[in-house]
Amino acid sequence: MKGAERIEIDRRYCKGCMLCQYVCQFDVYEQGQERSALDYLMPRPARIENCRVCGLCESHCPDMCLTVVAQMNRKEKR
Amino acid sequence: MNPLGEKYLRKDFLPFLFCPGCGDGMIVQSFLQAVEDLGCRENLAMTAGIGCSAWIAVYIHADVLKVLHGRAIPAAIGLKATQPSRTVVTFTGDGDCLAIGGNHLLHAARRNIDMTVVVVNNQLYAMTGGQVAPSTKVGSKTQTTPYGNVEKPLDGCKVAAAAGATLVSRWSTAHPRQLIRAFKNALTHKGFAFVEVMSQCPVQTGRYLLGSGSPQFNFQWLKDNCVAVKDTSQRDEVEAQGKIPLGDFLQVEKPEFMEEVRRMNERVKEAKAKGGER
Repeated sequence: MKGAERIEIDRRYCKGCMLCQYVCQFDVYEQGQERSALDYLMPRPARIENCRVCGLCESHCPDMCLTVVAQMNRKEKR
Repeated sequence: MNPLGEKYLRKDFLPFLFCPGCGDGMIVQSFLQAVEDLGCRENLAMTAGIGCSAWIAVYIHADVLKVLHGRAIPAAIGLKATQPSRTVVTFTGDGDCLAIGGNHLLHAARRNIDMTVVVVNNQLYAMTGGQVAPSTKVGSKTQTTPYGNVEKPLDGCKVAAAAGATLVSRWSTAHPRQLIRAFKNALTHKGFAFVEVMSQCPVQTGRYLLGSGSPQFNFQWLKDNCVAVKDTSQRDEVEAQGKIPLGDFLQVEKPEFMEEVRRMNERVKEAKAKGGER
């Protein structure tokens, strides 16, 4: 199964609408304590191991500040 | 920043001026995905009127013309007439396109000019503070209708289809995959393409019409109240329930205006060269 290597949230542009958390089916995100450059509380990919790289959060991000980087060569790592 | 954003957005204009949770950013992303898939960036030319939705065009790194309120379609027609090889896209809002620029929409659709009109429908005038628009539902309380709206709303898709548009689609920001497909269809279609996008506006529509300013609540409202349909009978059924039908309603081939003009010019030139009557 596909997994995410990391989830990048651009702190320059995030407005903390938390739609990423809302659309995520695998409960990856939670409300973080870090503030973005625009002074909004940002989401935090707390449970990244649940991520299936479906891309829903990426396509629903209104500020285009979210990037899900898929794991490469996972089979080889195993 | 998303790789799509890195490639296509004007970095010096960022961050977006849209409010947190606004649907316009999702439309930018869906549109850019369609442009990326089709590879039509070089030919892209956009026009935009006034309103939150008109800012969509400004952030995209391509040729943009930002014009007077409601006059985005005439500017696009001019652009298409002078440079027929360009892919012309107009971004307008519901107030911009259906109220102030309503007449322009009718006549551009009637002439079947090869362009795409993207109407972002958030059901009221959001940028100016939440006044009633032609797309506001009956009974809605807004800034200018504190006792409830008594006017019947206008269905942009039906107006465009009746006026002669050759591609009519309506999707919402809660359906990004379908929206990307609709944009791709519209950009490759030869003729007048009308794409209406139901969008959430937590700050104005949410607070005045739906009762909550939360982006999540507004997004769920779109999911619950927009129903994808396959044919017209289903469409009427959904409308009777008070919900919003989504779908690719119409796609037909008809003679395109600029080509007809070109053909007429050639005909006249030939007739003149022969020295005969036109």
